[in-house]
Amino acid sequence: MALKKQNDDNVTELSPRRSERDFNGLKNSLHEGDEDQRRWAARDLASFDEAVGPLVKQLTEEKSHVVRDAIYLSLQKIGNQDVVCQLIPFLSEEDAELRNSTIEVLQMIPEQIETHIISLLNHQDSDVRIFAIDILQVLAHAKTPEWLLSVLKDETHVNVVAAAVDRLAEVGTASMVRDIEEVKTKFSDEEYLMFACNTAIRRIKANS
Amino acid sequence: MMADKEIGTTRRLTEITDPEFERFRDFFYRKTGIKFENSKRYFVDKRLIERIYATGNNSFRSYFTQMRFQASGEEVQQLINCMTVNETYFYREEYQFEVMVENVMNEIAANKKDKSDIRIWSIPSSTGEEPYSIALYLLEYWPQIQHLDVEIVSSDIDSKVLQACHAGVYNERSVKHLPARTLKKYFSETAQGNYQLNKDIRDAVKFSKVNLSDINETKHYRNFDLIFCRNLLIYFDDESRKEAANVFYDALNPGGFIFLGHSESMSRISSLFKVKKYPKAIVYQRPLTGENK
Repeated sequence: MALKKQNDDNVTELSPRRSERDFNGLKNSLHEGDEDQRRWAARDLASFDEAVGPLVKQLTEEKSHVVRDAIYLSLQKIGNQDVVCQLIPFLSEEDAELRNSTIEVLQMIPEQIETHIISLLNHQDSDVRIFAIDILQVLAHAKTPEWLLSVLKDETHVNVVAAAVDRLAEVGTASMVRDIEEVKTKFSDEEYLMFACNTAIRRIKANS
Repeated sequence: MMADKEIGTTRRLTEITDPEFERFRDFFYRKTGIKFENSKRYFVDKRLIERIYATGNNSFRSYFTQMRFQASGEEVQQLINCMTVNETYFYREEYQFEVMVENVMNEIAANKKDKSDIRIWSIPSSTGEEPYSIALYLLEYWPQIQHLDVEIVSSDIDSKVLQACHAGVYNERSVKHLPARTLKKYFSETAQGNYQLNKDIRDAVKFSKVNLSDINETKHYRNFDLIFCRNLLIYFDDESRKEAANVFYDALNPGGFIFLGHSESMSRISSLFKVKKYPKAIVYQRPLTGENK
């Protein structure tokens, strides 16, 4: 007994994936298999654009955390408009994991989410508007400052404005300071927002 | 503060200002989990200025904006490569090897009811210092190696470094942290003044080429009990890190362990793993079957 001498055929072990790896086979495994089979099916379905529907459906029924994790990653890899459209309703979900994971997936596909940001920032539910700003938090998109500025100008809910100001502290430019000053006037009774605005202005000026 | 000076008709940036450094530091920390203290100013400033010019910019502001909003993330990746030093040597971050022989290997052995081989995967292999360190540490400090078989597999995306692994020849700097006794016992000095690892040890590590981002390559890596993946994920973007975490999850047996580099945190990447705190280090563990609900 000791360190085993190696030979050429024992580096890897064949994956025990025994069911058909075509779309229909994977779709069945995703729904009917044990935890490992469902997870592998979710992973392999990332190769199929048409898998968005079955993956999202399974997300709403799936109890296993590791299977859900694989589903989110596959949806992110597929990353098309279908993914965005089918995930956006989850921003209104009470299930925090589902909501937060949805935000993470949407953050990773900036080109696809672009056309939806304006409508999300104008959503009737203020929580969804804040989640839209959360999406902007790491979204690598050139229009992010412009979108945030529109929140300062049009938004009436203090928490949504505060989220936008917080973001502008990092990505804002000197030309936006006046808009942030106007927020201070508009919400002069909100101490936290005053603090957030002053912090954002200080940081923007320091970086200009 | 004046941050640039005249060279001919062009203004050359020579310094990063304090607010610029702080802005960069905050951004880099959020992106990588790596936080640069003020003591690293010279190191950071020098590389930042290099990247500012390499990308055709002439100010921190324009560079930062370009990098921050570049959809491909390519420049962020370049910057990460610049800011992280890919240095490797025998017994690097030795405290993790101590945790391996004092805690982790004993737990793995205790859970091996079928007495099957213990499989270890070291990735990236780089030029072989890490997988060979694992082999040497087990031989020197883990008595149970006399009673159990251990397989060590090591992989890298770069086929050139794999050739160096097979040769097993190292310079003075690579072996300087090895105890003299270990160096004498397992290495022979070459005519050029380098050190070649004995064939017995070289034969005990299997090297392979793999791209962690390619599921078709990684899906055959299975049934490992322990993975070392140190100072690699800091080079990856968020999506690749998540993919890597899933690869490791699938590659490990339930209850298997993974070591990351000291500045890396699996908790920031994925919630697939449990955090195990040992006196000398944090290790991540794939939950046992049935713990995933």
